[in-house]
Amino acid sequence: MRKLSILSISLVALLTTACNDNDDNGAPEIEIPGITFDGDIDCCSAEEALQVYKFIQTVHIVPELSLSIDGKYDITAYSSAGEFHTGYNEIFFVATKKLSGNYVKNFDISNITPLMYMIKMDKEHSTAVGAVENFDNGILAVKRGWVSFVMSSSDGGSWTLSYDATVLDGRGTLERAGITVNALPNGQTWLKSFKAGDDTYYLSLVNPTDWVTGTNAIRAYISKKSAQMTTPYALANEVFTVEIDPRMPDMGNHSSPNNVALTRQDDGSYQGEINLTMSGLWRIHLTIKDASGNIVAGGDDLDDGFSSLYWDVTY
Amino acid sequence: MCVFNINKHFVLPFRLFYPPFKSFNNNMLPLVVLSIILPSDTINAQTPDINLDEVTVVSTNNTGRKRSVKGQSASIDEHLSELSHVNLVRRGSYAWEPTVNNMQTERLSTTIDGMKIFYACTDKMDPVTSYVESGNLQTISLNSGLDGNPQATGNIGGSLDLRLRKAGFDAESFEASALAGFESNGQLQVYGLNASTSKHKFYANGGAFYRHADNYRTGGGNELQFSQFQKLNAFANAGFRFTERNIAEATFIFDRATDVGYPALNMDVAKAEGLIGSLSFTHQFVESWLNSWQTKVYANRIEHIMDDTHRPDVEIHMDMPGLSRTAGFYSLLTASSGGHSFQLNADGYYNRLFADMTMYPGGAAPMYMVTWPDVGTLNAGLAGTANLSLTDKQSLRLSTKLAWQRQHLNNDEGYHALKVFFPLMTNLYHQTTGRIAAAYTLTLGSVTLTGGAGWGSRAPTVTEAYGYYLNNTFDQYDYIGNPHLKNESAVELNASTKWQPISSLSFKIDGSLFQFANYIIGHFETRLSAMTVGAEGVKVYGNTSHATIANADFSAQWAPARWLRFDAALSYAHGSDNEGDALPLIAPFGWSLSATYTAGKFEARADAKGNGRQNRNGEKYGEQSTPAYYICGLSAQYALGRLTARAGIENLFDRYYHTYSDWCGIPQKGRNIYVNLNFDF
Repeated sequence: MRKLSILSISLVALLTTACNDNDDNGAPEIEIPGITFDGDIDCCSAEEALQVYKFIQTVHIVPELSLSIDGKYDITAYSSAGEFHTGYNEIFFVATKKLSGNYVKNFDISNITPLMYMIKMDKEHSTAVGAVENFDNGILAVKRGWVSFVMSSSDGGSWTLSYDATVLDGRGTLERAGITVNALPNGQTWLKSFKAGDDTYYLSLVNPTDWVTGTNAIRAYISKKSAQMTTPYALANEVFTVEIDPRMPDMGNHSSPNNVALTRQDDGSYQGEINLTMSGLWRIHLTIKDASGNIVAGGDDLDDGFSSLYWDVTY
Repeated sequence: MCVFNINKHFVLPFRLFYPPFKSFNNNMLPLVVLSIILPSDTINAQTPDINLDEVTVVSTNNTGRKRSVKGQSASIDEHLSELSHVNLVRRGSYAWEPTVNNMQTERLSTTIDGMKIFYACTDKMDPVTSYVESGNLQTISLNSGLDGNPQATGNIGGSLDLRLRKAGFDAESFEASALAGFESNGQLQVYGLNASTSKHKFYANGGAFYRHADNYRTGGGNELQFSQFQKLNAFANAGFRFTERNIAEATFIFDRATDVGYPALNMDVAKAEGLIGSLSFTHQFVESWLNSWQTKVYANRIEHIMDDTHRPDVEIHMDMPGLSRTAGFYSLLTASSGGHSFQLNADGYYNRLFADMTMYPGGAAPMYMVTWPDVGTLNAGLAGTANLSLTDKQSLRLSTKLAWQRQHLNNDEGYHALKVFFPLMTNLYHQTTGRIAAAYTLTLGSVTLTGGAGWGSRAPTVTEAYGYYLNNTFDQYDYIGNPHLKNESAVELNASTKWQPISSLSFKIDGSLFQFANYIIGHFETRLSAMTVGAEGVKVYGNTSHATIANADFSAQWAPARWLRFDAALSYAHGSDNEGDALPLIAPFGWSLSATYTAGKFEARADAKGNGRQNRNGEKYGEQSTPAYYICGLSAQYALGRLTARAGIENLFDRYYHTYSDWCGIPQKGRNIYVNLNFDF
């Protein structure tokens, strides 16, 4: 990513210096559509802005989540497809100054609160949400958070999402913006829940569509259902181990060797290694163990001999 | 799974007159086959080459060499079966896999006029001998054991060279011939045309062939489903003598088999296509101890498309294409002096092998894997042979080759998939292999004694090193290649004695012993789960510390009168692994007898052959035992002017049987009546 950006800077530099008579002692001139570089220290330098600009070309705007603050700043939210689906979704935020169109160097997004209103029961509940952090230590101008939706929007219920934003001297709140959460296609199940004791936990599998045949890092989060259902479900403090047994149900439950169980990392995520011997539908059977190694969920022998707790991934 | 389908239809025992036969006189003439009369093109070393065996495919001068009783209409496989030490592994009625000294493709070298060519099917449905047609060839020569032809690499069991049929310079100025063959069982039809022109400065010849067969019937008259095939072949050769001693030659072969059934396997073949071409330049020396210097560049492309769409009850439909492309050269210098002869050869080739598999489970997403990860093999070798005439009663033959190769896995998906099993593997490997062999011949009156010894090694094949979940229907295991395999090597000892007490009687006994180190074979890997639905498990290729294969043959020939000759042969082989257990696909005791009657241009033969029970089957390797069998046959040929007719009955008593080398025990053909006609214009 870094390399690519540097390369593109030099490319843009070449192009712009070639046709620009505004000679700055040979310094490269960067032009980004819609952005005026006016030396504002709150905003990105041309090089930083180019990195942000390049990144947001790879994702899509979620129009429902746009927010204007005091007529001075715009918050724009992005996801990989501009929409949401059940399971883990990354959301990226960028703040711009209305005047220059330039990206604000640093800002805050907090209290991301998705809510599902269930019509029949006239009740609301939230879902698993991750903390908002900088997308990249080098680029503070892009914030990343995630939401793992437990169900899709339907006639029986609909999703809203709220968040707070602080941009320089401005503060704003997006109140209950209606969003649509699509169901995943057949062969994709990326969010599962399990009970341990009286608590309910959610297992969110991170971006399995990036997987390839061979050895892959497998990442997941374990969130705990809040006592107050409308409070977003934060990461569980309890430490678990997630053992995986990937199988291909269409190939007589063919499996792969040398898979590494997911264990908790310093950043709160769970990471392991999964080996995939071919593309197609993989059912990843799960066994959850607590810190003392007791099985708390999954790992049961159903009729087919595998855990009833599983993710499905088709790639 | 080893299930083949037989239709219980009864067939009349003697169904001699098939429609194709009747229609021959009307409209088959343009399709008749040709056979060109050629002087022998074999280089005659003065010393007898005991390890060399040859079957003549096309020849009209009866040199006493081996020939198929069916003549040129015989398939390549039938010609191959004439060779000593050769057996054929049969997965259907087409594309049989030759074994030499009870070793299969991995331990053999097969070249076409010295050209390297590699099969494109991960399931070995297409041994390279299937990409030529009898009519393309003059002879098939076999070097037994480690004493290979100069272009051969990795030949522990032996090396086959399929020698193309070239009109040559200063031959008949124009010739054309046609052939047609019919067989009652499976309604096999063979048609061929040949034409050639030759002058002092130029020659050209070419031909076209077509074979078609329906399902054959096993002994007892039941139809064996999926045993059909169809094949089209065309070839052309040309030579140009641009100065008296400098010759340029070009060859081209197109071969396409379609709708080929494999009753022993789960899949058939929609298309197997080979394009083979070469250009060579030869300088002939005069008044020098050097004889000739030939340099050839060549390229070939093999495409193989499997097909399971005609099979009933397919659990998961699969596409399994394979592609093999090879380009290479060799440069061969021959010399002779004072009864000695020498060959020096440098060769190199680059081969790319790619195969993949897409499976379509009903409703769910297709599943894809790379089964041969686009392996690029660059190989270079240097070989030398010497035939030394020590005295008029003693001779010595020496041969050696050193080869170096580099293999790169060009497909990242396949590479990363294999890396799951071998985390420390890389995508680049180098191997160095070599062989050296010596044979000493001593003639004492009516007895000729030969003793030989050799050492040689081979690099693992692409399947053995990098193959990925290749299902083997023989033992029902999925095989995974092992990139960390060591080269396999073997020491060979051989000896033979020929005794000819009187000119009409001769006996020959020969034996060979191969002692392997790091023998490559599939090892059980119970930690892995099979991919193929219904498979027993997974095997990973590994080196077994040692293994032994021994072969013994006895033959006798007696001609009590000019018009009568008896032949008899016995063979036995033994193979064992490091634990003393039987290796798979080792021939049981075999025997054959024949009596030949000759009167002028008429020849008739009665023969019988059989195998003892295969008791020492490689049970550990999934091989079943095979019952004993015997079959009898009759054949006759008659030359009437320009027409040569051959006819015969195979499996006269319509026995139901299979041999140890019939994959999954598929039954052989029942009674078969054939008529082959050859017409020279």
